[in-house]
Amino acid sequence: MDAVETVGLTKHYGHRPPPIHPPFIHPTGIVRALEDLSIAVHEGEIFGFLGPNGAGKTTMIRLILGFLHPTDGKASVLGLDTARNSVEIRRRVGYLPGGIALWDSMTGVSLLDYLAELSGHKPVRRDELCDRLELSTRTLHRRVRDYSRGMRQKIGIVQALQHDPPLAILDEPTEGLDPLMQRAFYAILDDLKAAGRTVFFSSHILSEVERVCDRVAIIRRGRLVALEEVAKLLDRRKRNVEMRLTGPPPRLEGVPGVTGLTVADGRVTLQLEGDVGPFLGAIAGAPITDLTIEPAHLEEAFLEYYADADPGETEDGEPAPAPARVAG
Amino acid sequence: MNLSLLGRTWRSNAFRLAIICLALAGWGSMLPIIYSQFGAAFREFVDSGLIPEAMTNFGGGDVFSLAGSIALGFVHPIAIILLSVFAVGFTTNAFAGERQRGTLEILLARPISRRRAYITILVSVLGFLAIALAAYLVGTTVSARVFNVIGEIDTSLLPLVWLNGLLLFGSFAAIALAASVTFDRLAPALGITLAILLVGYFFEILGSLWPDAEFLQPYSLFHYLQTRDILTGKADPFGFGLLATITVIAIVYALVVFPRRDIAAPS
Repeated sequence: MDAVETVGLTKHYGHRPPPIHPPFIHPTGIVRALEDLSIAVHEGEIFGFLGPNGAGKTTMIRLILGFLHPTDGKASVLGLDTARNSVEIRRRVGYLPGGIALWDSMTGVSLLDYLAELSGHKPVRRDELCDRLELSTRTLHRRVRDYSRGMRQKIGIVQALQHDPPLAILDEPTEGLDPLMQRAFYAILDDLKAAGRTVFFSSHILSEVERVCDRVAIIRRGRLVALEEVAKLLDRRKRNVEMRLTGPPPRLEGVPGVTGLTVADGRVTLQLEGDVGPFLGAIAGAPITDLTIEPAHLEEAFLEYYADADPGETEDGEPAPAPARVAG
Repeated sequence: MNLSLLGRTWRSNAFRLAIICLALAGWGSMLPIIYSQFGAAFREFVDSGLIPEAMTNFGGGDVFSLAGSIALGFVHPIAIILLSVFAVGFTTNAFAGERQRGTLEILLARPISRRRAYITILVSVLGFLAIALAAYLVGTTVSARVFNVIGEIDTSLLPLVWLNGLLLFGSFAAIALAASVTFDRLAPALGITLAILLVGYFFEILGSLWPDAEFLQPYSLFHYLQTRDILTGKADPFGFGLLATITVIAIVYALVVFPRRDIAAPS
């Protein structure tokens, strides 16, 4: 059973413009927030949902939690239909909304108690999470209105995970966290994965998706453009290679995986894709004084997927047909 | 109904409820004092012909009888404002306000259905109003007893007065909650509810003071607050039925609309 499964999930906002436009009224028309999204998140994996702001990530999350009703398609969470069992789904899921808002008049601890009570589960992991996120007892007894952005985010993470849910849905969870806390949060995710929990993780920060996720779905203007393992995505990326030589450069034309070759003033730059064996064979014996091979970053993969997007394009735009490369 | 939400709602409004009850009890105790001390003098003043008789009836209340004084206290802006803290302020904020701040999302991310959340808030506000209205009547009764005018009314009719007040402010609360679950922002929900309340109040007061505007009164919910008529044994069951019907319609609307609407991410 998949933890999350969507089939042709579609969400349009607004209404079709009327055939006659009354003066001074500007019809909004239809906004295609999500278009025919079909993904499956396997149990026990950390699944990244990647896309720029306005791509449809939050819409997708709100659809599977029952905040929004789909225009078309269907979704299930932990084997439960989102249209019919949204209350039961929310009983089993921990959710961190993006840009979380909390009741300012409550103290941190009373807020966590209240949310645990509403969930109907004991906060079995709260102490450990607070400890790892450096939320002291003293801090928890202060009112939420006195909390910084980062502290609110920590409370948000704790409330989502304190009852040890089998599935955590986290919408941009590291927003507002300092680098140390981000690292602590990544360690928490690693532990969740080791314990067999599933994490659905939305982000526009490429480095963190690369660091923590097993698989990633890339969404663009509401459409899925890629769904595959992060490792495979990275394997396919071109590495940036730079060599400095004291003599004639090696013959690299025609070497499998080598593109973008430039040679100037004893300096060779190129992009390398796939297996590095043929390249290493080709440069063996060359008078190299320095060699740099930059590790592949997901950012480059991401930019490639978005390379043909119009500048300044938003989700309001009519979605162009995008080639979907779906694997895994 | 969700007991956790109910508990938190009552805890977070307990202080406010105590203040409103004290204020309403104090206000309720003022009217019998005014009536017992100045009622006869006011009557003589009106009988002198300096003030037209029509101008002595303010929204179904007056200061020439204990029943009229209690009615005047109910329809006076002070009581309306105090009761509107819950009937309008609390209710419009309950969903539209929480939605605007983003906290509704945290609540509805828990295993609690929208209908259950709505019913919990509805039960809470009806409870707040029931207690606040009771505080007003307790203040009035104690004051009337202290000033030896309690014998002028049949105290066994006071529960009907309480019920009539609860139906009136309950209907405003139900309308406010219907607006609250409809809109994503507080301003339109509050605006619509206040417009219904203020226009209705204006119609009722204008119609009570100016005979030519009497035709406006049936369009106001305040017209069906019949405190003086109840205490003088002339209550019309139609008013009770109408207020109950409007309340039920608003509740059914909210129960149908709220679960079906989209709750988009807070902007």
